[in-house]
Amino acid sequence: MGWKLHWSPTSPYVRKVMVAAHELGLADRFDLVATRPETVVADVSGDNPLGRIPALVLPDGAILFDSLVIAEFLDDTAGGALFPPRGAARWRTLTQHAQAQGVIDAAIAIVAELRRPENERSPGFVAARHAEIARALDAAERAPPADAVDIGTIALAVGLGYLDFRHPGRPWRPGRPRLARWYEAFAARPSMGATKPPAA
Amino acid sequence: MKLYFSALSPFVRKVRVAAMELGLDKQIELVTVATTPVAMSADLTKVNPLGRLPTLVADDGTLLFESNLIVEYLDTLAGGKLIPAKGPERWRVKCTEALADGLMDSAILVRYETFLRPADKRWPEWIAGQQQKVNQSLDTLEGYAWVFEDKIDAGKIAVGCALGYLDLRFPDMGWRKRCETLGRWYDAFAKRPSMAATKPQA
Repeated sequence: MGWKLHWSPTSPYVRKVMVAAHELGLADRFDLVATRPETVVADVSGDNPLGRIPALVLPDGAILFDSLVIAEFLDDTAGGALFPPRGAARWRTLTQHAQAQGVIDAAIAIVAELRRPENERSPGFVAARHAEIARALDAAERAPPADAVDIGTIALAVGLGYLDFRHPGRPWRPGRPRLARWYEAFAARPSMGATKPPAA
Repeated sequence: MKLYFSALSPFVRKVRVAAMELGLDKQIELVTVATTPVAMSADLTKVNPLGRLPTLVADDGTLLFESNLIVEYLDTLAGGKLIPAKGPERWRVKCTEALADGLMDSAILVRYETFLRPADKRWPEWIAGQQQKVNQSLDTLEGYAWVFEDKIDAGKIAVGCALGYLDLRFPDMGWRKRCETLGRWYDAFAKRPSMAATKPQA
């Protein structure tokens, strides 16, 4: 029996889990159950009361969320190395993950804001989120990630892919050549190719 | 260790409660910052480009962002009392943390919508959507019988801080009527010295 994963081809939180699963050789264990932003709360609430994806339902009925918990579960199950087990490497990787997750959160908050009726949007809120993204990417440019494949680099690559997907009008590469080169190499991995969001 | 701090953030409170439960609070210096999603503290963004609380700078310079990671770090320093090292127990604690965090996220979004956003830019349907997530999360917690066992863990700390935030910001919500068992558990949990010492005052 497979693992039921509440899934969407465009969610960066889902993509993070899917990239991890591909890297760990577990992607074929999933039974994907598709949802979309308009119906996600109704589709998923029976398994995750937060109405969010990804949510993973195991054969014994145990339900796992959020994306970081699912990814750590997958890594643990496969005996992988996406989460360093202890020490400085663990804290560095997970803080990198948190920083990349912040980029994803901010990019999604902008998309959500722009889905609001026009007269109920806040330009100041959108500008603050773009500034947050810019600061986090500048920090990544100053200290580019290593060649490692771990939950920190997966989250950063998925975040940058999401910026390309949803915010092509705000190019992030200018002024960040090292980050751009790193991303180009990481995005060529089969795990990234297999999980690329469909053209917007 | 330096903890960037705001007295009213439920995410910061999780870290402070964990530190007290682990006996590490005396080693933590609180650095107060005033920050909102639209006016972030420059002192904070120098350390954490996202400008988010909590942020911890450890004595050896290790930087830690995000409350669950900071709680895990403190727990590791103290020998692992709040987060089981492996197995189904670990995932149960981590998922409870994620559920409580999500509840806090939705409650905070409602708070921002009604407090920070100009009245003409609010969206009532969106507030209703967040309230639905809060209610569904409360109903799920009400059904988690194991939450009410005595042993403290990182998941229960997160649930306690989430419920404390509802009392702080939404005193008229009446969540105890909806979740009587959870309410009784919370009222006992809130008497722990760690919870009493970190109770937010609006």
